[in-house]
Amino acid sequence: MTVASTATPKQRNHFDLFEVPRKLWIEMSALEKKFLELSWKLHPDKFVNASPEEQELSLKRSSELNDAYRVLRDPVGRVEYLLELEGMRKEGEHKQQAPPELLEEVFELNESLDELREAKASRGDLASLKSRLEFAEKNFQEKLVEVDAQLQEAARQWDAAIDANASDADRKRIMVRLNELLNRRSYIRNLVTNVAKELS
Amino acid sequence: MARTVGIDLGTTNSLVAYVDPQTGTPKCIPGPSGSTLCPSVVSLDPDGSIIVGEPARRRLLTQPERTIYSVKRLMGRGVADIQDELKLFPFRIDPSSKNVIRVRLGDKFFTPPEISAFILRELRNWAEAYFGENVDRAVITVPAYFNDAQRQATKDAGKLAGLEVLRLVNEPTAAALAYGLHEKQRGHVGVYDLGGGTFDISVLKLISTSEGDIYQVLSTNGDTHLGGDDIDNLLQAFVHEKILQEHRVDFSPHSELAQELRQELIAIKHQLSENESATLRFPLPNGAVYVQECERAAFEALIRPIVDRTMGPVRQALADAKLKPSEIDEIVLVGGATRTPLVRRTVQEYFDRKPHTELNPDEVVALGAAVQANILDRGVSNMLLLDVTPLSLGIETYGGAVAKVIPRNSTIPASAQEMYTTGVDNQTGIDIHVLQGERELAKDCRSLARFTLEVPPAPAGLSRIEVKFLIDANGILQVAAKDTRTGEQRTIEVQPSYGISDTEIERMLEESIEYAEQDFAERQAIEARTEAETILAATQKGLGTPQAASLPSEERAAIDAAVAALKESISDSDYKLIRKRIDELNNATMRLAELVMNSAVSTALQGRKLAEV
Repeated sequence: MTVASTATPKQRNHFDLFEVPRKLWIEMSALEKKFLELSWKLHPDKFVNASPEEQELSLKRSSELNDAYRVLRDPVGRVEYLLELEGMRKEGEHKQQAPPELLEEVFELNESLDELREAKASRGDLASLKSRLEFAEKNFQEKLVEVDAQLQEAARQWDAAIDANASDADRKRIMVRLNELLNRRSYIRNLVTNVAKELS
Repeated sequence: MARTVGIDLGTTNSLVAYVDPQTGTPKCIPGPSGSTLCPSVVSLDPDGSIIVGEPARRRLLTQPERTIYSVKRLMGRGVADIQDELKLFPFRIDPSSKNVIRVRLGDKFFTPPEISAFILRELRNWAEAYFGENVDRAVITVPAYFNDAQRQATKDAGKLAGLEVLRLVNEPTAAALAYGLHEKQRGHVGVYDLGGGTFDISVLKLISTSEGDIYQVLSTNGDTHLGGDDIDNLLQAFVHEKILQEHRVDFSPHSELAQELRQELIAIKHQLSENESATLRFPLPNGAVYVQECERAAFEALIRPIVDRTMGPVRQALADAKLKPSEIDEIVLVGGATRTPLVRRTVQEYFDRKPHTELNPDEVVALGAAVQANILDRGVSNMLLLDVTPLSLGIETYGGAVAKVIPRNSTIPASAQEMYTTGVDNQTGIDIHVLQGERELAKDCRSLARFTLEVPPAPAGLSRIEVKFLIDANGILQVAAKDTRTGEQRTIEVQPSYGISDTEIERMLEESIEYAEQDFAERQAIEARTEAETILAATQKGLGTPQAASLPSEERAAIDAAVAALKESISDSDYKLIRKRIDELNNATMRLAELVMNSAVSTALQGRKLAEV
């Protein structure tokens, strides 16, 4: 067995590698099965006695396999990847901005966080501040659940658009929505992490 | 054909194992003393030779200045990292050491990989003596939580010992392999590995496929500075303080007396794993004897904080695997420190399941390494290990923050591509700092490497350099860069932040010849020659006895022929031929030996009264 026998054209994307359509709902057990099947073929352990070129190729191909599996397995990572693949999202170009409808709440939250830090420094009254922050944390946790549900809904729309062979304009509209939701999600998630850190 | 072995390069003990081709089962190889444990202790004899293992361990008492133990703690670390260790361990560090530590043994300095290489070389010798064949390839185990630098240092040690390191395998994963072979495990397996100096927890999923069994590591966590050594340090500090208070006797923690006390306390610790109490009697230089009754309960209260420290990583590993304790189907205990009843109880309570201890916790990692060595050696097998990287890989960004590019617990090999460009016109270089760890700031993570990407002068933002970070199946980082504008591929000279450069390795390899034993075949020939001389002398003596005269003439002729043949072969360097001729002479002299022996016995009996017999 050689790596070349399972070789594929360069620049093959994660969906192609797993032979699944560019859709956002993926059957996990089938994905795992494919992952294990390809691991048997590509893992460097199978090429210890092979030529250096084959070892190099095995390393490259199996790392691509593992990278692809890692991304596709993660529901959010999968959306990000799809958008990157479709040219709708570039890494690093999405400066995190507070979603406009959250501005007021975020402002309040940041104020409370500052107060808590000051209170910690001056050993002031922490209890009431903490309960305020815990309340805010819970509030944002709920928003996170909400945005996840919205993301799922948009993902379903995407899959339906693929199945229906929808127009480019329709697809683009869904991708814009997905992108917004991703940004919103990552913004809220950072907030929750920060609050949790201050509270711990 | 040269052999491939599995080696557990431990903090306290090291072992070498192989898979018996007949039975297919892994087996540890004993050393000259018959024990399979080689204490990871190295001593430099005043005559310049290197002593490893049990004889070196004895020198901890007589020549502590020339002897080192637990060197694994120093692997892949810089001087700044080990300040805490220096308070607890009698490491004598070269004050001029910077990123690569140099340790003093007597009047010479060695890096930790060189010292580890002495241990590996010793184990290699054990295996070669056992097989009567050359051993040149090995799988070496490392703690799962070892970072890039620690792994690289281990690989360097293998190279210095003249071994091709086929793979670095994580210790808990190796243990899971050994257990899997021992008795079919299923579902989710947790491996709790508390060794001499390191703690690992790994969560694996065992999957049966049509092609064979897959051991997929889901998550791993640990502490590379937590182990039985810490228990010993704690006991030592505790008793040291009591001796100071009660007897006003103070001694340096690096002295011979301290080493003696440490070894006594280790013995007490072992006794307390079996018994409810033990008594320490320790003679002091002032003639007094320090006596301490040790109850297991008190011992457990003392060491509980250490055992508790293992539980944080356990919880994290389960969280990362997205599993609850009740979802772990089997839990396996590995490492000598898991003999401690408190450790067993703690693990059993947390998982609500009796842990597996069927395989010897000292040997199980080496056995698993042998299994993996066998798999790799044959290239094709019905088992496959899928391991993970224990720490996230990150790149320093603006303001000293870290952007994670490969998250921890990613299946390896794993890779990430990053695109870089220039910020100002005619910029000729882009600085890149690679780190490992979970913290958000670069200063809190482990620095792996810094390098500068060279860029041809061009307007800002025009150059596009794609950098590929790849963690290989050993958990070691490789970096490659490509100028996507010109298509030019370039290799990057990555200067490790902590570690030995390739040039230094080459120099050490040359130096190591100074300590290297002679070539295996030559060594065997020397031994065979010595044995031949002995048997020739014995034959000569036998032929001179009165009993020899009663030998039939054809037997006498056969002996003479065999003697001549052996004498002729001695000058040859083919040890196999010498051995063959020795066997032939042995066969030819069987009857003569019997005659001489009988007569010797009757002569001996004649001189004594019957009652004495």
